[in-house]
Amino acid sequence: MTSIAVSVNHVTFGFGRREVLKDLSLDIPAGTAFGLLGPNGAGKTTLIRLLVGLLRPKSGDIHIMGQLISRKKSPFIGYMPQLQSLYGELTVLQNVDFFAHIYRLHDNAKRAQQVEKALKLVDLWGRRDDAVQNLSGGMKQRTSLACAIVHSPPLLFLDEPTVGLDPELRASFWEFFSSLTKQGTTLVISSHTMDDAAHCDRLGFIRDGKVIAEGTPDELRLATGSPRASLEDAFLYFVRRGKETPDD
Amino acid sequence: MTDAVWTIAKRVITQIRRDHRTLAMILVVPLVVMTLIGLSFPDLKVLDYIAPALLAALAFFFGFLLTGISFLRERSQGTMERLTVSPVTRLDIVVGYLFGFFVFALIQTLIILFYTIYVFDITYRGQLWEILVFQVAVIIGAVNLGIFISSFARNEFQMVQFIPLVILPQMFMGGLLWPVEQMPDYLQWFAHILPLTYAVDGMREIMLTGKGLPDVWVDLAVLAGFAVLTSVLAALTLRKGPGG
Repeated sequence: MTSIAVSVNHVTFGFGRREVLKDLSLDIPAGTAFGLLGPNGAGKTTLIRLLVGLLRPKSGDIHIMGQLISRKKSPFIGYMPQLQSLYGELTVLQNVDFFAHIYRLHDNAKRAQQVEKALKLVDLWGRRDDAVQNLSGGMKQRTSLACAIVHSPPLLFLDEPTVGLDPELRASFWEFFSSLTKQGTTLVISSHTMDDAAHCDRLGFIRDGKVIAEGTPDELRLATGSPRASLEDAFLYFVRRGKETPDD
Repeated sequence: MTDAVWTIAKRVITQIRRDHRTLAMILVVPLVVMTLIGLSFPDLKVLDYIAPALLAALAFFFGFLLTGISFLRERSQGTMERLTVSPVTRLDIVVGYLFGFFVFALIQTLIILFYTIYVFDITYRGQLWEILVFQVAVIIGAVNLGIFISSFARNEFQMVQFIPLVILPQMFMGGLLWPVEQMPDYLQWFAHILPLTYAVDGMREIMLTGKGLPDVWVDLAVLAGFAVLTSVLAALTLRKGPGG
């Protein structure tokens, strides 16, 4: 039986009177790349911010690796926000080393090893002494990813990690994400592009704060009844049908 | 002191140290301000009386401004969001930033203090180390207030609007320009809830009458209480990102 890394039960959340998430439920199996797919404003970022504990649901509950999410943050979570969220004046190495420290890698030798590993994985070891503010957008994105993975978290939340990346870099990001899931890491990735969706093991289509469909890319495509349907066709199909899962 | 506090403090210091323009401003602005003050007083002897209050007020102002703006930037660039997702506590974050910003607020305070003493050549009576210790209490409160107030601003413009709201009333009612006792009763009551009132009073007691730190313990205790209160409030109201 597959264990569940993230379980969202009947979560409702809003800003003031505006409801952003409406009675949303979702289970994310461990060791998979789970894509939260939906148009801008669908509630993907809000959901990710709830999952990492930055926001608290108005109702419903969220379990992360079997534990109810609390104010006390887990060191087992990695988070890459939509904003690059880096210290521009510091070097690439200083940024990654800072987050390694914050995630309790106190042993100097072990931390140095982890920092080197993370920077080599995102192919920035050669630029480690460059100030982040002097890097290109793609390099900043890779630095941001290195900060999120430096403590080797078993659960990684990535909010639109491939936005603004060129196709080559996007492909290398997905290659890397795939290697992480092979090692057992669970990835929760938000995106609004169907390109990204195709790389995920499972997908949750989100629209207007609700999960309108959930399944593997193939399941979602086949649910349309047309074997040649693309994921975009599948998304539109479920938008028209309202919430439904292909397992039903 | 937790490891996270030192890590955050070290990072704040490294970050400002690597930002050469900001570092230069931190060092040059107090020098320029003090020079202008010196030039505006043809008879520097007048400064003997004004200097203690001026030192307290400038240290408070610089500490508040430096911290308020810098801390706000942490939020607007999204790094605060990343920190709050990590296992560090809110208090670790506030105390870490306090130590980091304190170093630069202290440098600014030392600049204005030594400029006043050695360039203006004022006459003072208390011990220099006691003046310094008292000023440290003033800037810790100012730094914490800057962190706390920045929670209520969403951008630098809004933060700057807090200066007339938070700093100017203290300048006018904290005994800097005229004695608190000469103000109407209701304003005296208000003056006694302002930290700068105690900062100005303590500095005057030390520098003008030669009293020691034990003699100004009430002022010191109020400033210490203010620093603790603002750090707890800052931890409670700590906002994570640009939107909240």
